[in-house]
Amino acid sequence: MPKYYGYVGRILRINLTKNQVKIQPIEKSLITRFLGGRGFNSKRIYDEIPKGVDPLSPQNKLMFATGPLVGTAFPLGARFNVTAKSPLTGILGDSNAGGHFAAEMKFAGCDQIILEGKSRNQVYISIEDQEIQTKDAEHLVGKDVYETTETIRKDLGDRKVQVATIGPAAENNVLYAGIFANLARPAARTGMGTVMASKNLKAVALKGTGSIKIADPRRFWKIVEETEEETYVHPQYWPRRVMGTTRILMLADKLGILPTRHFTSATFEHAAKVSGERLAREYNVKNRACFSCIVPCSRVYVIREGEYAGLCGEGPEYEALSSFTARVGNSDLSLALKAVDLANRLGLDAITTGECIAWAMELYEKGELTRKEADGLELRWGNGEAILTLIKKIACREGFGDLIADGVRRASEKLGKGKRIALHVKGLEIIQADPRGLKGYGLGYAIASRGADHLRSEPFIELSDDPEKGMEMFGIPEATLRLAHKGKGKLVRYFENWCAIVDSLEVCKNLAENMELLPFKRAAEIAEATTGFHFTEEAMFEIGERIINLERAYLVREGIRRNDDYLPARFLKEPIPDGNSKGAIFEIEPMLNEYYAERGWDSKTGIPKAEKLRKLNLAYIIEDLKENGIKMK
Amino acid sequence: MKKILVEVDRCSGCRLCEMICSFSHENLFGSSISRITVLKEDIFGLDLPIVCWHCISCSAMEACPVEAFERGEEGLVFVNEEKCTGCGKCLETCIIGAVRLHPERNTPLICDQCGGKPLCVERCPTKALTYIETERQQPKLANQIFEETLRRWGIIA
Repeated sequence: MPKYYGYVGRILRINLTKNQVKIQPIEKSLITRFLGGRGFNSKRIYDEIPKGVDPLSPQNKLMFATGPLVGTAFPLGARFNVTAKSPLTGILGDSNAGGHFAAEMKFAGCDQIILEGKSRNQVYISIEDQEIQTKDAEHLVGKDVYETTETIRKDLGDRKVQVATIGPAAENNVLYAGIFANLARPAARTGMGTVMASKNLKAVALKGTGSIKIADPRRFWKIVEETEEETYVHPQYWPRRVMGTTRILMLADKLGILPTRHFTSATFEHAAKVSGERLAREYNVKNRACFSCIVPCSRVYVIREGEYAGLCGEGPEYEALSSFTARVGNSDLSLALKAVDLANRLGLDAITTGECIAWAMELYEKGELTRKEADGLELRWGNGEAILTLIKKIACREGFGDLIADGVRRASEKLGKGKRIALHVKGLEIIQADPRGLKGYGLGYAIASRGADHLRSEPFIELSDDPEKGMEMFGIPEATLRLAHKGKGKLVRYFENWCAIVDSLEVCKNLAENMELLPFKRAAEIAEATTGFHFTEEAMFEIGERIINLERAYLVREGIRRNDDYLPARFLKEPIPDGNSKGAIFEIEPMLNEYYAERGWDSKTGIPKAEKLRKLNLAYIIEDLKENGIKMK
Repeated sequence: MKKILVEVDRCSGCRLCEMICSFSHENLFGSSISRITVLKEDIFGLDLPIVCWHCISCSAMEACPVEAFERGEEGLVFVNEEKCTGCGKCLETCIIGAVRLHPERNTPLICDQCGGKPLCVERCPTKALTYIETERQQPKLANQIFEETLRRWGIIA
């Protein structure tokens, strides 16, 4: 087994059908071309999951991977990606989480875990250095995320064991169930928990005595210190420490991009009541951080009075908070905290859950969904009781909850109503920012490789509304104006490549990207100092480009084309009705054209051109796509 | 004498102290080779770094069958690795669970306060750790600290 710097150098391949473990080395060429984390997983999903595999069959593979900087003192947190073919979208399923699981993966002796097949019985996997065991999990069936985590730690007799588990929602085959680490840190999107449940696998528990070696310690520490200095004086340091991402709620309201009542409004009259500011003032008691991170942006809240008095927990972040407040028209902050807690315990993706509920509420308010169809629930905007009941109904697939447990695309098809207002791209529900008022983000939702999501590009610079930045970075002043359409192809390509690097080094996007603490140049420097492999700024950009193209090729093989890269009609046809983005609409055609041209993809089909793939050292994909009957330019 | 004290509400549980400690002593990053270790209760979001208190009456020292535990001039407890047999008695007896065995050498890892300038304190991102003179002879137990905290937060009466 090669011993690398930064990496452990080991892949665990666990076949659940045969109850067999194989330990494989990581090849050098994989590192220099795909870095780690998301890059490793995306490469493998392309290579190992052929076209047409049923996501819930034993042929699907569930992969956990982390990166070279994780488990060290590099201060940008420590994350992991979970990847499989998604049961929700039918394309690339991928999600990412922080906390302490990823670092423990490295200490326990692996950079990547590949789970294949399907166990005959309910099991969980326990990894402790060289000891890799499948353990009986019959006693964990039906237990929620919190109970499962606690029980496993008790069973293994160690409170330091890191657990990534699913909840009852996944066991009940809700298509958007997540995998939860440290109780409230989910890899929530695209139904990775559902895939895990389909393998009769309840959890992965880790503990290890391993350690990580650094290639060039002196250089490593110099970069660490430089990064720390920048972090502590960064204007976002304190706001993030006080509010985490919940600070976005008021900002989004002010900009007129806060999805309110299912995007029928872009400002929420009760925003202040459900804001991160209020949460910080009245609920939060302390901060928490991911492994090694110097910005403790996660918060612990306590509800001291009212119906939910005594409830406490970590979080929430902006997406979940906004999902159960503005998006569903709820102005009761304690109720929103309860809803997030419930979704976490049951193991649901809070974004998709919020969209499903908001979608049903809009139909109900418009009189298109009857009370009878909704199991007698009065689905009026902001009806807290109905929100909590629906979350439970979704998790156990009961009545109306069964319908929306398939996600909003399938639910609208099955119901035969509300297709036009099912707000998703490629089957993944849209996040909490109105694309009409943030054009770069919107383009990001349209083309992201896992469906409507901001974390594949997150071109935050657009929020600056500073034309000089656009001029400087892309030669187009409009590129960094949030309401302009021009230059967004360039903008999104750049930020997509950056996010791919951040996800593959498995550091935090908030710090690395939003706070600009890990530009391509520093990414190359720290990767080189840590691993000893030679990386340049240009090489980093190219690795990002390679990962994006590989993921696109995977989507293309599964049948995705240009006509799938669209936003729902609401954003293309209905102008924003109120607030500071009033009148804004999304013109997608010119943006897609610009984006494909920037990418070197065929603008008619959205398929990468052969020349582009060849340049990125992905020639084998050209052959493979051809064999799959795909015509390329 | 000077001790490493923890302000529990300030600790974010990031475990950077573990990384700083392991690297400065072992040139490697690893949680299991750190002399400070963060205890966590995820359910309440509690985090508490545990580190040797160098108690006046050290129960690990008393329990050591080969008298490998010794005390230096400054009053700091340390282990004479030549005497140590790696039996692990110290692990079981330390009242705050601050002793662990090095996974390869099998000898106890005890905080040496970095020779009077503890790096974990210096680099703690939330200043949850301080290094100060204290009169207190015995450390508080983790359970007691957690209970007090939960009471202060109004979670338990």
